[in-house]
Amino acid sequence: MSQEIATIRVTRYRPEKDSQPFFQEYKVPYRHDMVVLDALNYIKAELDGSLTYRWSCRMGVCGSCGANIDGEPKLTCASFLHEFKDRTITVEPMSHFPVIKDLVVDMEDFMEKLVKIKPWIIRKKDSLVEEGEYRQSSKELDRYQQFSSCINCMLCYAACPIYGLNEKFLGPAATALAYRYIEDSRDQGKDIRFPIVHEIEGVWECTLVGECSVVCPKGVDPMLAIQRTKILGATNAIKSILMPRGGR
Amino acid sequence: MAENKHYPELRKRLTPGWWTANRHYAMYMVREWTSLFVALYSLIFIYGLSLWATGSRADFLNFLKNPAVIGFSLVALVFTMYHAATWFYLLGAVAPVKIGRSKTKPWQALILNLILLVIVSYLAIWLVVLR
Ligand code: SF4
Ligand code: FES
Repeated sequence: MSQEIATIRVTRYRPEKDSQPFFQEYKVPYRHDMVVLDALNYIKAELDGSLTYRWSCRMGVCGSCGANIDGEPKLTCASFLHEFKDRTITVEPMSHFPVIKDLVVDMEDFMEKLVKIKPWIIRKKDSLVEEGEYRQSSKELDRYQQFSSCINCMLCYAACPIYGLNEKFLGPAATALAYRYIEDSRDQGKDIRFPIVHEIEGVWECTLVGECSVVCPKGVDPMLAIQRTKILGATNAIKSILMPRGGR
Repeated sequence: MAENKHYPELRKRLTPGWWTANRHYAMYMVREWTSLFVALYSLIFIYGLSLWATGSRADFLNFLKNPAVIGFSLVALVFTMYHAATWFYLLGAVAPVKIGRSKTKPWQALILNLILLVIVSYLAIWLVVLR
């Protein structure tokens, strides 16, 4: 039996050499159980060592291998070659981010946004270790658990046209993470986080395109988190008008 | 990434045709465009009301009987219903109601809200016209 072949078209961009990106085509021996990342690894090992891309866990956990595959933001380690017609696959860097080299994008902006929303439990006064752990019921856990499974792959940003228009937009994953802490019964940082998520470039920029939740590989549903954050902000504002003192 | 700063920045930005890239984007755009008809219909209706306010009820009714106005109203009705339906569905997706252990599904919110819409519309018509 002759060896089946998959064709991988990859964006090449080496800023020190190329003024413009271009596509390079590679022929890769095809196996049914191969994912796009396997194909990239084959290219790097056997065909062209200069191809540059990120990956680590190859099992959808580390979030480092995102790319636009046939135009859709996906994890390369979770996209099987057999899902694509003709076994011809185009792999480009994720949209909206500055490209450093080939498929590698600059994550700086996203990292800053993650830190900005203070992704840790804020207490008005930390209790002593002797007082024991902060307890939480499974019902309370349910309120935020889904939003805590983000792997920071940034696919949702690559899918978000609002972020594509205005990179100052806080965006899907950072808001989902903020909401995760806002809904955590152990957290007391609402007053600190609310002004951050509700500032001009915060949740109100979102016009409900919803593609972030479609592409998210972890079922985080950032679109839901953003709308819930809007609702919380609006009810809070109304409460503070009706009950200026102690309305929260 | 300070050492990369002197290279020209490459970044795939949003192009005017971005919403043709997939079905979800296109549906989003359809949802937004249908709101245009809601706005246009409101303008026409406000103009009709102004006829009533300055002239007579007959002026207003004649204006409404104009075939062009009837035609546009029908088109606007279809688009308005579609626009409303998309938001009712999203409402159900964003704020599901917990009943016992299960949560309501978006399509249930859609149907319930459409029924409410029909009831409220009928009440309004009854109050203003039929009574
Ligand atoms: S919310 Fe989903 S798509 Fe966005 S970074 Fe987290 S895991 Fe990735
Ligand atoms: S390599 Fe870790 S998520 Fe794909």
